[in-house]
Amino acid sequence: MKAYMYSILNKQHSTPNYIMMYRLALVVLLLIIVMQEVIAQQDVKGIQVHGFLSQGYLKSTGNNDVFGNSSGSGSFDFRELGVNASYRPLPNLQFSGQLLSRSAGEDSKGGIRVDYGFIDYTAMSTESIDFGIRLGRTKNPLGFYNDTRDVPFTRPSILLPQSIYFDRTRNLGLASDGVQLYGESRNSWGDLNAQFGVVFPQASDRSTEFAILQGDRPGDITPKLSYIGRLIYEYDGGRVRLAVSGAQVNTGYDASQRDNFSGLGTFQFTPIIFSAQYNTERWSLTSEYAIRHIERQDFGAARNLNVTGESYYFQGIYRFTPSWEGVLRYDAYYADRDDRDGKNFASGIPSTLKDYFPAHSRFAKDVTVGLRWNVTPSLMLRAEYHYINGTGWVSSLDNRAPSEIRTQLRSPFLPADTDQHWNLFAFQASYRF
Amino acid sequence: MVVRSRFNYRYRVVSLFFFVFGVSCFATHTYANDSVEAVTHPSVELQNYSKNSLRAAFGMRLKTWPNGLPVRVFVMPDDAVLHTIFTKEKLNIFPYQLRAGWDKLIFSGTGQAPFLVKTEEEMRERISNTPGAIGYLKRANIDESIHVLNIE
Repeated sequence: MKAYMYSILNKQHSTPNYIMMYRLALVVLLLIIVMQEVIAQQDVKGIQVHGFLSQGYLKSTGNNDVFGNSSGSGSFDFRELGVNASYRPLPNLQFSGQLLSRSAGEDSKGGIRVDYGFIDYTAMSTESIDFGIRLGRTKNPLGFYNDTRDVPFTRPSILLPQSIYFDRTRNLGLASDGVQLYGESRNSWGDLNAQFGVVFPQASDRSTEFAILQGDRPGDITPKLSYIGRLIYEYDGGRVRLAVSGAQVNTGYDASQRDNFSGLGTFQFTPIIFSAQYNTERWSLTSEYAIRHIERQDFGAARNLNVTGESYYFQGIYRFTPSWEGVLRYDAYYADRDDRDGKNFASGIPSTLKDYFPAHSRFAKDVTVGLRWNVTPSLMLRAEYHYINGTGWVSSLDNRAPSEIRTQLRSPFLPADTDQHWNLFAFQASYRF
Repeated sequence: MVVRSRFNYRYRVVSLFFFVFGVSCFATHTYANDSVEAVTHPSVELQNYSKNSLRAAFGMRLKTWPNGLPVRVFVMPDDAVLHTIFTKEKLNIFPYQLRAGWDKLIFSGTGQAPFLVKTEEEMRERISNTPGAIGYLKRANIDESIHVLNIE
């Protein structure tokens, strides 16, 4: 039963299933819009329903694909649809849940998943202090943007800075199941907000397996006990915001019979993120720095891995008016901080495979310029342009070598021969309620 | 001749732009002179309140009043002139910051959204009829059914 649920929620291989899910999502959405009108009449009762939907278009140059076949005629395969409900029967007790459907190339196939669902009890609440506990599936508190990363309105651009909020191995970072403690302290010298969770990550999907084992293997990646936390300091109502967040995400491997990968295999992902933001009426200046330690061992056929990656970005948002804003960002990703240009990596690749594992697959430097128009408070249009050097964060599922080459080289999961310097244009329309 | 008419057209567009811009500046200016106050339902039983706590209340992070009543926040749409004036003058922050804070609560399930009212008349009526309510009104629209909060 559990395995069946997972296959519905995460895998979505067959097309009819996917179409059915999409129709179901639309019906649920319509139902909820109708429900919301009813609830709006008595909204003081503590029930709230909100949601969003978006449609994007991406076009890239070269052979590099982002969210579907963007390098061909362009890709419309980028949709986000979410509906949430919350119920607060008492001031210190809240039930919350959100269903989400995301289509974005091969990594997200549009299936409906429970994005979060938990009970929140505030054990202590005064004018200056809150302390409480959340039980269930909570969003992972990482950096400034991870908690609401699939909600277009809360992002600074159509694509989040991929160096830190990479979309290709996103599922491990989205939400996790377990216990979260939180506290807030509000003072004249600033506000402190802390969250700490002891949780199991979401690891049983194809894209996570691909990220950890560079292929779709017969067994399954399994979640193991993990830890996550964040501390935010805000001065003067958020004029200055500083944060540090970190996690230790652990997974194991459930090997199948005749598997050449060992069931003893473990994978540990330890990111630490430092965040800073300065807000004025017209400007928001943001920078985040992340250092990630990745350790993979005891998988047998897959070699051990012990590598530390590094990422950072600088971002300026300028509001021309309250409804028009521009964004400019420099975003850098390094898979291995001791091999930033990827040359060591490339020198270890056999010559027949050199085109498929180039040095430029180990980094990505992305200059982004974008425009946002809030047509109304609930309708937003966006456009942006990326000039990118490197393919460090492009999806391995969206960028696989043609099948005849994979067969010829006997490498079923061979990545595509990508271009080092490339351009990406994106457009997106989003609606919220 | 053709060049001239194009010039005329451009001139008209530019002057229209300045007209609209001027009117909108003027409109903001007149509103700014009519002071806005943070107001509550009388049941909240507060006279003085710190700016920091007021920010927490409008930020949807304050759950109960000192007397135990649940906090119920009423606001106008993000692009309403009065909302902008109140946010800037009384909270000393900007509407986009309030919105970002609310969205984080709404879309991560860790909080709820404020109640939305479309007009000042609706604001006055909802606040005077809802125990625990807080919102804002122009001084001219405040009557005895509503309490004004002094911000320290």
